[in-house]
Amino acid sequence: MISLKNVSLVFQGGSVAISNISTQIEDGEFVYLVGHSGSGKSSFLKLLYKEYIATKGEIEVANIDVSKLPKWKIPLLRRKIGIVTQEPQLLENRNTSENIAFALEVMGSLPEEIEAKTNTLLDLVELNENAYKYPGQLSGGEATRVSIARALANNPVVLLCDEPTGNLDPDLSIQIVSLLEKINRAGTTVIMATHDSSIVNRRKKRVIELNEGKITRDELDGSYIVR
Amino acid sequence: MNKFSYVIKNTLLNMRRTPLLVFATIIAVLVSSFLVFTTLSARSIVENNTLRWQNGVHVVVFLDDRVTTTAHKQLEESLESYPEVRTVEYFSKSEAEEEFKTLFRDQPELLAEVDYEILPSSLRINLNDPSDYTLIINRLDGNPAVKEIRTSGEAIERLLSLTDTLVISASAFAFLIGFAAFILIINTLRLAAYSKKKEIKIMRLIGASSTYIRLPFIFEAVIESLIGTSIAVGFGWAVIEYSKNSIVAESIFDINISDDYLIFLTLSLLMFSLVFGLFASFVGIRKALND
Repeated sequence: MISLKNVSLVFQGGSVAISNISTQIEDGEFVYLVGHSGSGKSSFLKLLYKEYIATKGEIEVANIDVSKLPKWKIPLLRRKIGIVTQEPQLLENRNTSENIAFALEVMGSLPEEIEAKTNTLLDLVELNENAYKYPGQLSGGEATRVSIARALANNPVVLLCDEPTGNLDPDLSIQIVSLLEKINRAGTTVIMATHDSSIVNRRKKRVIELNEGKITRDELDGSYIVR
Repeated sequence: MNKFSYVIKNTLLNMRRTPLLVFATIIAVLVSSFLVFTTLSARSIVENNTLRWQNGVHVVVFLDDRVTTTAHKQLEESLESYPEVRTVEYFSKSEAEEEFKTLFRDQPELLAEVDYEILPSSLRINLNDPSDYTLIINRLDGNPAVKEIRTSGEAIERLLSLTDTLVISASAFAFLIGFAAFILIINTLRLAAYSKKKEIKIMRLIGASSTYIRLPFIFEAVIESLIGTSIAVGFGWAVIEYSKNSIVAESIFDINISDDYLIFLTLSLLMFSLVFGLFASFVGIRKALND
């Protein structure tokens, strides 16, 4: 479960990114986080994996009290969370398979585990044929799928996606969202930040809308009306 | 084990990425460590040599023939009563003549010319602490039985002071080069961290601990530091071994230095270089990895 109680985030200099928000996301939910640029979507996600530290309020993610979590324990939190950014952040000198395996190598998995898990993830994101291609040889959608596979490598309970379809055309965006829904059906909580109304309105999932750092709407089977 | 091999692999990758900087760093550490090793060894060699002299005669008081032998005897007794004096030996005119003949046996012309009557009798003094020779000079000031005083303590002191100056100057120089090595390590690590910025960002997102992210950089600094120091120490040992059979050893000094001291010096330098590498890596990547 993810819970935020009266959470605010104020940057140095006084600009308010998140203003006194409270919400709760149950295990296994799929939530779209919507709002125009600068509404606080990325800040919301970054608070969850403690890239940003809340100025006030309480945050709990996967039974970890994020607000009181000391800096040295942040890696423990992140091992329970998969993070997908708008830019896929792939290592140019590693092929698809090696980019996915990197997450497992870093966490100290054994070579045989790395091989088996990488193959499973390649299957999941349907990139078996591109396993030996380097990032420069992949399309935008394929690169995003590699990034999703890497985020899933350590079996996270929550997947946070910050505008993963931001640079993709509508067809590729639908493919990515379908993939995320498939992952969600397997039990992983997914929170996806987006400002793509066509995706949100078609999928009929829970929608949390942010505006100037405040939750302005929270609807199950919601939609995103671009104002 | 797999994590460890990842760290080692990345350490070597980092080092291969900036070979010239790594080479420059190793050379700087090498020169700095070599200077420290050789000067401290030289200091020990000088101390060992002067230690030998310290068992010999430190002060020679030449006696004035114009005063009575009773006055000479009184002087000897007073000297023996001084706490800083270990032994006093009377050296007669005939013994002085014998010693002169022995010392200059290769110069028969000189021996034939010398009037041995002018060679004075003397008191040869061995001090508990050779540096106390000035006290003896002060105590004997104005004594009519004393014709002249000569000391070996002065020479020892000059030599020790010279080696102290050598050690201080070489240490200052070694410090400067060590500082250059420190800056080089910091730059090498920062370049490596910069070139791996994306990798580090991904590792953070995945949940790798800070220590784990830092380890390849720490290992790199420590390895460079230890390689430089190890080569320097190896050179240092070689120089000492070579010097033992060199002209210096035959003509000026015995290259007398114990293996225990050299092992102690070697281990101390290696330990210092380990700490040096750790500290440099800490400073070098602190900012780069906190961004």
